[in-house]
Amino acid sequence: MKVLIIEDELQLAQSVIGYLSGESYVCEHAATYQQAMEKLCIYEYQCILLDLMLPGGNGLQLLEEIKKRQQQEGVIIISARDSYDDKIKGLQIGADDYLAKPFHLPELAARVYSVIRRRSFQNNNILQQEELQIDLLAKTVHIHDKPVLLTRKEFDLLIYFLGNKNRVISKNALAEHLSGDIADMLDNHSFVYAHIKNLKRKLHEAGCGNYLKTVYATGYKWEV
Amino acid sequence: MSKLLNKSLKIFILYAGIVLAGSIPAYYVIVDLIWEHELKEHNLIVSETIKQNLQSLSLSDKELAASVALWNKLRPETQLQPAASLLPDSTYNIYRKNKYIPAKGTDRFQGLITYFSVNGKPFRLTLETNMEESHETIMAIAVVTVMFFLILLGGFIFINRRIAARLWRPFYNSLEKIQSFNLHKPQEIHFDHTGIAEFETLNYHLHKLITGNIASYQQQKEFIQHASHELQTPLSVIKFKLDLLHQSKPMTEDQSDIIDQAHQALAKVTRVNKNLLLLAKIENSQFPEKELLDLPVLIEDYVTFLQDFLDDKQLQVQLNITRPLQLSANKTLLEILLTNLFMNAIRYSESGGTIQVSLDERRLVMANTGNEALDTDHLFRRFGLSGRHSTGTGLGLAIIHEVCQLYGWQEHYRFENGFHLFSIQWA
Repeated sequence: MKVLIIEDELQLAQSVIGYLSGESYVCEHAATYQQAMEKLCIYEYQCILLDLMLPGGNGLQLLEEIKKRQQQEGVIIISARDSYDDKIKGLQIGADDYLAKPFHLPELAARVYSVIRRRSFQNNNILQQEELQIDLLAKTVHIHDKPVLLTRKEFDLLIYFLGNKNRVISKNALAEHLSGDIADMLDNHSFVYAHIKNLKRKLHEAGCGNYLKTVYATGYKWEV
Repeated sequence: MSKLLNKSLKIFILYAGIVLAGSIPAYYVIVDLIWEHELKEHNLIVSETIKQNLQSLSLSDKELAASVALWNKLRPETQLQPAASLLPDSTYNIYRKNKYIPAKGTDRFQGLITYFSVNGKPFRLTLETNMEESHETIMAIAVVTVMFFLILLGGFIFINRRIAARLWRPFYNSLEKIQSFNLHKPQEIHFDHTGIAEFETLNYHLHKLITGNIASYQQQKEFIQHASHELQTPLSVIKFKLDLLHQSKPMTEDQSDIIDQAHQALAKVTRVNKNLLLLAKIENSQFPEKELLDLPVLIEDYVTFLQDFLDDKQLQVQLNITRPLQLSANKTLLEILLTNLFMNAIRYSESGGTIQVSLDERRLVMANTGNEALDTDHLFRRFGLSGRHSTGTGLGLAIIHEVCQLYGWQEHYRFENGFHLFSIQWA
């Protein structure tokens, strides 16, 4: 699965590539409007990460170009401009998601994962991993073909982990994923622990393998 | 408030009134002096006529005595009497009753006593002429003056209205244009040509001021966007690097802890940056859209939304809400205000404490349990409480203050019965 990162800040692009390259993602990078246009003309991608402020052009124009081509790629806007106008405009033109900088890399990975899932498996929104089966549309989880009742937050966490397989995810990142902006207003994120504990317990009771590991005191990992 | 022209009119009328009132005694004195002067002259002419006519008659002493007696009988008010010697003339002014027309009451007379000799004998002649009474004069003068004053007053007001309407039209035109000016939707203002130097100067400088403001407003807006971009990118880089560092193998617990702490410090810087930009945006009125918001619903949604944080500290929330209640404000700003109030309450509550939210038509009160009163002087200032509590940015209450300023609301803090009470009053 190919991902194109359109971002002028080299450090950021490298970090994103470094993080996403692990899985089955093949990452390419375009630093300017021109480069991005060239790459988009030649290759096909499953997901495009688009920064709005680019040398040589506006990211929104680029988004319009992408949408004109009517291909299957998903687009996630990553922008430092956290203004509602841009967000609304971007989503109206046809972006699938919008992330305001600075965000956590696991958050980005989870969103890329969900965008690709949605785009590539239109008729079948079911994820299968060993004994675990997840219906993304119905938001249900089955283990050994038996339903497991998860809360919305537990389901969210599970998808987040699946999008970041074999990576250590900090409690901070999980807290921000669960409660958005307000999470970083409080330093105590022990509520994350409570949700994880519940999720672990429910998965274990349903007979799911022990994939979710605690890494020291600060992080968690979905190990396959 | 009085209008500028009415203000000057009042002073003019007052001045005219004083001058006219002062003119009443002045008129009286002058008229009186003229009267007196004229009557003295009249008396002199009459006395000279009598004297010369008597002298030219060349009467014998006997005839003279008979004539004098007859004269005194016919004109008793003009006494002609033999005198001991010739003395210089004298005049007097007297109020007395007229014995022939007593109904007229006291009258004022101007008298002349003159001496002359007929047939070598000295005579004294006393002449009296009725003169205008001063109390009658002063009344007449006062009435005339007041009448003129009223005419003057009416004229002033009438002329003033005409002048105000015509002379100040360009001024009011400019005023109207400035009133309709809105910095959020800046349009160039064009003032009409007035042909009056002062207004031209005023309009020129107003135009300069407004265009200057529009320019600096645009600059500030650009600055905010640029500052946001410039700061968020390095912050993102740091965050990404820390996330990557978390994946490095092998990692010890200590290293993981260090990354976690760096993450927390970074989160605080990110938050401060975001809040500073937000403050600048509020100050620049970049949240112009208003809508009617259902406050009770918003608050209840928030309590659900914040359940994780409440559970975390085992906080109880008591809602005391009057419904329905709608408030006209910008949705984003009101949400930010509520978030900050709630976060404040959660952050500074003791574990197991209570948060009380009371809402009625006039105000919202957020109360949380606490130990001691806060320093009210610096509470709503930027970084006013920073340092005392390391977890906050020190900007939350300053943002509440800015939002309240924007909508003309009042924010208050007080400490009562072991509760910190923050209230927002809008009516």
